[in-house]
Amino acid sequence: MTFSKRLKQLAACTALAAGVIASGTAADAAEKHKVFLSMSYIGNDWQAEAANMVKAMAAHKSLADKIDLQVQVAGPNAQRQIQQINAMVQAGAKAIVVYPISPTALNQVVKNACDKGVKIFAYDGDISEPCAHNISIDQEEAGRVTAEWLVKKLDGKGDIVLITGVPGTSVDDLRTKAAKEVFAKHPDIKIVGEAVGMWSQAVARTELSKITATRNWDQINGLWMQVGCYTANSMQLEAGKTPEQLLPCAGEGSNGGRIQMLPVGTEVEGAASPYAPLGAPRISYASPPYSGALALKLAVDAIEGKDVPMRVTLPLPLVTNETVKLCNEGTWEEMKAGCNAFLPSLVSNPGWFGSIFSEQTPEIGLAAALVGQPEP
Amino acid sequence: MASASPMRQLLSAHRGVLIAAIVFVVLLAMVDLISAGPLTYFDITFLSSGGATSAIAAMGQTIVILSGGFDLSAGAVISLVNVVLARSMDPMDMEANVLLWTCAGIGIGMLTGAFNGFFIAFLRLQPIVVTLSTMFIIQGVTLLVMDKPGGAVSPSLGIFYMGDAITGWLPMPLVVIGAVLLAWCWLKNTRLGTAIYAVGSDPDAAAAVGVRVAFVRFMVYVIAGGCYGLAGVFISAQTGSGDPLVGNPLLLSMFAAVVVGGTRLGGGRGGPLGSAVGAYILMIVVNILLVLNVSAYYSTIAEGAILILAVLAGSISRQSVLARQLRMLATRFHARRAGTLVSQLRQDDRRMSLVRTSKATETRSQPPFFTRNAEILRYALPAYICFIIVVVATQVWLGGAIFNFGYWNSLVVLSCFLAILALGQGTVILTGGLDLSVPWTIGLCGIILAGMVKGSDVALLYALPTVLLLACVIGLINGLGIVFLGLSPIVMTLATNGLLQGAALLYSNGTPDGFSSPLLRWFMTGKIGIFAPVVLFMVLFVFAAVTLLGRTPFGRRVYGIGNGIRAAELSGIAVGRTLVLVYMLSALCAGLVGVLLTGFSGQASLGMGDDYLLPSIAVVVVGGALITGGRGHYLGMLGGVLLLTSLQTLLAGTTLPYATRAILFGLVVLGAVIALRDRRT
Repeated sequence: MTFSKRLKQLAACTALAAGVIASGTAADAAEKHKVFLSMSYIGNDWQAEAANMVKAMAAHKSLADKIDLQVQVAGPNAQRQIQQINAMVQAGAKAIVVYPISPTALNQVVKNACDKGVKIFAYDGDISEPCAHNISIDQEEAGRVTAEWLVKKLDGKGDIVLITGVPGTSVDDLRTKAAKEVFAKHPDIKIVGEAVGMWSQAVARTELSKITATRNWDQINGLWMQVGCYTANSMQLEAGKTPEQLLPCAGEGSNGGRIQMLPVGTEVEGAASPYAPLGAPRISYASPPYSGALALKLAVDAIEGKDVPMRVTLPLPLVTNETVKLCNEGTWEEMKAGCNAFLPSLVSNPGWFGSIFSEQTPEIGLAAALVGQPEP
Repeated sequence: MASASPMRQLLSAHRGVLIAAIVFVVLLAMVDLISAGPLTYFDITFLSSGGATSAIAAMGQTIVILSGGFDLSAGAVISLVNVVLARSMDPMDMEANVLLWTCAGIGIGMLTGAFNGFFIAFLRLQPIVVTLSTMFIIQGVTLLVMDKPGGAVSPSLGIFYMGDAITGWLPMPLVVIGAVLLAWCWLKNTRLGTAIYAVGSDPDAAAAVGVRVAFVRFMVYVIAGGCYGLAGVFISAQTGSGDPLVGNPLLLSMFAAVVVGGTRLGGGRGGPLGSAVGAYILMIVVNILLVLNVSAYYSTIAEGAILILAVLAGSISRQSVLARQLRMLATRFHARRAGTLVSQLRQDDRRMSLVRTSKATETRSQPPFFTRNAEILRYALPAYICFIIVVVATQVWLGGAIFNFGYWNSLVVLSCFLAILALGQGTVILTGGLDLSVPWTIGLCGIILAGMVKGSDVALLYALPTVLLLACVIGLINGLGIVFLGLSPIVMTLATNGLLQGAALLYSNGTPDGFSSPLLRWFMTGKIGIFAPVVLFMVLFVFAAVTLLGRTPFGRRVYGIGNGIRAAELSGIAVGRTLVLVYMLSALCAGLVGVLLTGFSGQASLGMGDDYLLPSIAVVVVGGALITGGRGHYLGMLGGVLLLTSLQTLLAGTTLPYATRAILFGLVVLGAVIALRDRRT
């Protein structure tokens, strides 16, 4: 980088002088591969956690010397992501890791990027353009398995309430349709209420309040929700239910929900009701937030010329009351031994997603998901 | 000004556009300077296609705004056209007729525009609430057409719109925008074009000189609908497939583009060219953030700052509000030194003493209650009538409503958030403004409260005042930006919202921790007798709100400002100070909602306020307030809150698919406002 170029850069930065944090990392990145992360809306727990894990992966000693990672946010706007990916290709990206806002809208720009030799890795959601690598769980399986668990728990009979995700997205559609197919096979299972939960605990609470305004908890036998079991359990306790009376709930993999699954009386540091062991009958599943970090790892493999599959279907993280186990520190080693719930004293946000373990990512553990620090 | 040369007149008439263009060129040059290689034709091609959808849609929105209207359905129309094309075009057909399908898209847009236009122009309903209902209805229809992303459009569409008009020289998207602009230039010089500006400047004057105001309004929405349709065709070409959510997020940035492009909200001044440039300015910000490597947490902050700077740059002149405020400050300073400031004079009562004929005032009988409050009742009642109908429907359909205390308790608890927001947003709307910073004021306040409280009742004692104080500061920033920098409320509060989102992310490091204290949780979800404590609080709140707006000097000033800023200034109202207070009140209400939501949910989460922005505006308007200010009553807004909440409760208890619910919701809101319409002809 010549002096005059630096000067130009400096001038441009000062021109912007508006609290913009600028850093000229381009100089030392000359030998490293440029890798970009284009994420969606950053304002929710899952996205922030996934971003932390990607950053931790990039900072791990096995990758830190190889790549220079830049993170950009596209918001909820697919148009912006298109523009962003184009700009990343122009900026000389070797690989782009994408949280796709839309599975279809990005196809053209992704194809254009592939044609220029840029590797595209989508995590959590899929991109339907064939040249993109997709790393995600089988959403239909998630809907089906959880619905089957609920049917079994209710002995094939009862009134249930559904809380779905964001309408109009493929993920929500696949999960909900698969679950409804299961329920349809059991004529005695009746769906008595269905609301849009937007994958948010806060929305789940308002929607459940609306449903229970005209139907009290005794008139409901079970819950199937994409996010919100933790909240549903809290609401039942507030309505005067005892932990033994909690309804079976098939739902998300938040740490709060996992702690509630532990048997009553389990010694847990930092627990305070409702973020406490309740013995709540649950199956907990999740789109694991490590998928972005794994996508980055595979992207680096691909840059180095290794053979990487076009589609990685992650094992569905499922936890039931029989398999829930408390972690004490949350290192990768400990999780490998089978623990899957974290002390409230370590994870103070109950909405935080607990499915952070993967066989394939020994680089990242609890510290990665919380603050973006890789395992030593 | 009279002696100004033609050149200067031309410049001053097109200031907004010129400055927007200069800002754009500066930003483009900046990207060119910092990025690795020089700008090539290829870069220009992708920049031009990247901003084209927003630009075309923003041009349509501009025409609506020029006529004094507002269109919230724009994003939804884009999605609808996108899914209809992706559904009905044959992806294998390499030779699909581009012209035919483009016309189909524009036609769909025009139809939705005609729907909007009919209600707004001929039934005299308020644009914001009609287009809000249409937005819900269209979103529902879009999901019925295609419930998840998929489908494909014929490649010919992409080849045509993404290609070059002149190979290596002129990309097609620019030609499309140029064509729309040419059409506008032609339209502007017709009678209809002049009439659009006339209606936007002053509808009464326009009507007086023989303009058919209703027809002009109708046409404006049809033309704008056509633009959204074209934008929908363009995005289909760009993405090659369908996605029922693709257009929705374009809405807010569209307004920003219009304002950055120099068009005045409220009508009469500006034009589509500026908006197109504005859309490109907002788009190129993406590239700037990338080349500067702005960290993800700071990106909304940077965007907010760029938005404010771009608009400020457009208003720098001796006539700008900022310059005027500075001059006034200097005058005040001199007056203080000379000792002639009003507050330095002796505070004698110099009013003329009127001879009080006390007897006369006592004997003059008050007109009966209904006559006195006829106007308030006329505007507030429809919401309550619809509310009662919805409650009865709930009883018939689901049972367990009217005689169920639990139902009423839930209804009030769920309503309390919107009822509190309605006071803040309602007061802002009464002055003719709009507060878009509500979502992240709620979010930031909730997150900071939960972080400070961490489950301790003692901590709540100091956390609550701290958070509410913070909310006041947020409102103060909004108010100062609007009053002293002269920024449009939409721009200022939109930018503040971005700043607050960044602040919330930085504070929480992406994962908010902490949870509400037992006392706060009890307040929202516990019971005193059969009702939650917050229900009793709401009774007091409503009483206080009605008193504040109806019985205090502050309330009178708010209505005064809404009825005409100039008249308010001349009658001695401190407009600036009152406006700042209004925005502080709005932020305080949003902060309070953040606190209560945290208590209700037990914890705070990022984005917890996102779902409250549009409803907070909707309830105010459904409750009979005029979006341009000056008319409305808090009890009416409360009726709007109850109507919306009870309707959502009814819909949540059913198992109707979401698409049907959205359509029903839109229809009921539309039905409620039809009863509100102005019968004056």
